[in-house]
Amino acid sequence: MTAALREASLDPSVAVRPAAQPLIRLDGVALDLGGRRIINGLDLALGRGEFVCVVGPSGCGKTTLLRLLSGLVRPTSGRILRDDRNVDGPAQDVAIVFQDYGRALLPWRTVAGNVSLALEAARVPRAERSARIAPLLAQVGLAAHAAKYPAELSGGMQQRLQIARCLAQRPAVLLMDEPFGALDAMTRQSLQDDLLALVRQHGTTVLFITHDLEEAIYLGDRVIALRANPGSQRSSLAQDIVIELPHPRDQLATREHPEFLRLRRFLFDFIQEPRP
Amino acid sequence: MSRGYLSRLRGLALPVAALLAAELAMLATGAQSDAFARPSEILRAMWAAALDGSLAAASAQTLGNALLGLAMGGGIGLACGLWFGAVPRVGRLSALTVNLLRPLPSVALVPIAMLAFGFGYRMESAVVAFTCIWPMLMFAQDGVARIEPRLLEVAQVLGLRGLRRAWKIVLPAALPRIFVGLRLSLGIALTIAVTTEIVANPMGLGYGLSMAQQSLNPALMLALVIWIGVLGWAVNAGLLRLQERLFGRRGARP
Repeated sequence: MTAALREASLDPSVAVRPAAQPLIRLDGVALDLGGRRIINGLDLALGRGEFVCVVGPSGCGKTTLLRLLSGLVRPTSGRILRDDRNVDGPAQDVAIVFQDYGRALLPWRTVAGNVSLALEAARVPRAERSARIAPLLAQVGLAAHAAKYPAELSGGMQQRLQIARCLAQRPAVLLMDEPFGALDAMTRQSLQDDLLALVRQHGTTVLFITHDLEEAIYLGDRVIALRANPGSQRSSLAQDIVIELPHPRDQLATREHPEFLRLRRFLFDFIQEPRP
Repeated sequence: MSRGYLSRLRGLALPVAALLAAELAMLATGAQSDAFARPSEILRAMWAAALDGSLAAASAQTLGNALLGLAMGGGIGLACGLWFGAVPRVGRLSALTVNLLRPLPSVALVPIAMLAFGFGYRMESAVVAFTCIWPMLMFAQDGVARIEPRLLEVAQVLGLRGLRRAWKIVLPAALPRIFVGLRLSLGIALTIAVTTEIVANPMGLGYGLSMAQQSLNPALMLALVIWIGVLGWAVNAGLLRLQERLFGRRGARP
């Protein structure tokens, strides 16, 4: 990512707080899959520009929540509203970053061609595409690799490419499904910081799913924890914690902050799966 | 580069040695046969056929028939395969019909094709076409059916539907499999074309081969056999290179 972007993220005036008027609202959302209740009684509001991380034991419906918000699946009961309108299918300005970047990219298209797909889908005229692709690739640090094919990139670069394709949609909402889960620690940290700078710059609302509690606390303005097997009595929402850590986040200072450690302890105790 | 050529030339060592050994053995024993000829005689016969233009003419006829049949049968197979793959319900409904027709030996259709079309390129290319339907159909159907589900989800999220989805996602994803089907079909097309010519149709390399056999000219007969082999190898090698150029970088790792 460019130096200019990093500086922009250092400016404290761009710090985003949850807006009074939520962008997305879930009212009593429940979803059954195969006769089993995956999500139950979920009430949730996502503010404009808010970065919300979702954690929870495996099988608690994290990915299902993301699919609900994207409109790929409809709730069994309850409502999902975006700007007071029902979410009833995928929308051009809602982008999903999948964990398996290798499968989500088109292997027969170059880096630039993969970004172009989102523009073609949005019917951007051919003449305008390259002018939009170049800055997007520069933002994710792939400007020098535009002519390469995905198979010629490292995992971290492939995930950057997928993020660039999602940014090409000019998303109001970015849904991310464990996007850095398959990357090594160093690559993950640099992608975390670049992602924070990018979404702050664009004012994007993010729902970020992860199984890594530290990642959730580090990135999130809020962390919500989901409960596995909620049944039909309890709500899926187990915890909803506002993260009061200062912005911009810093890989060393933030992770050593007493509040960070307290939150980590709290969530860890909560999330720990029962030992057999 | 030069190493590549060298290692390829090394592959020629065994056949050349075998031919030399055969030449020497047949010279030494003075063997005479209606079925065999010395490599030098075969080479001379091939050279003569090349000079008088008969080899080129027969090759053009055989290749033309094979390609015409491939275009027709491959086209039908491709269209059906894409359809069956894209609509699994149709694929299931058609499975029994396909599996009944596919094992039918295409040479068994020669008498019918002869009645319908008489001798000539139409009859031969029809038999070739019938044969080429099946590999193209199966590989196209398989290519479409085995598309990465995640890519379909990406298309859905981006709002790509119908023809745009088929053109930008499904077809390019299935293309490598379709190309394998094409390569197999071309080999089969050549085989069936020659077979039809030997069995019935008086044109092309197969007819030349059976004429050489009936006039007890083993040198020309074997020359044609070798030439057909070379032709098949060259066509396949050309398509392999094309395949490498088209899809090589897709799976490449630095």
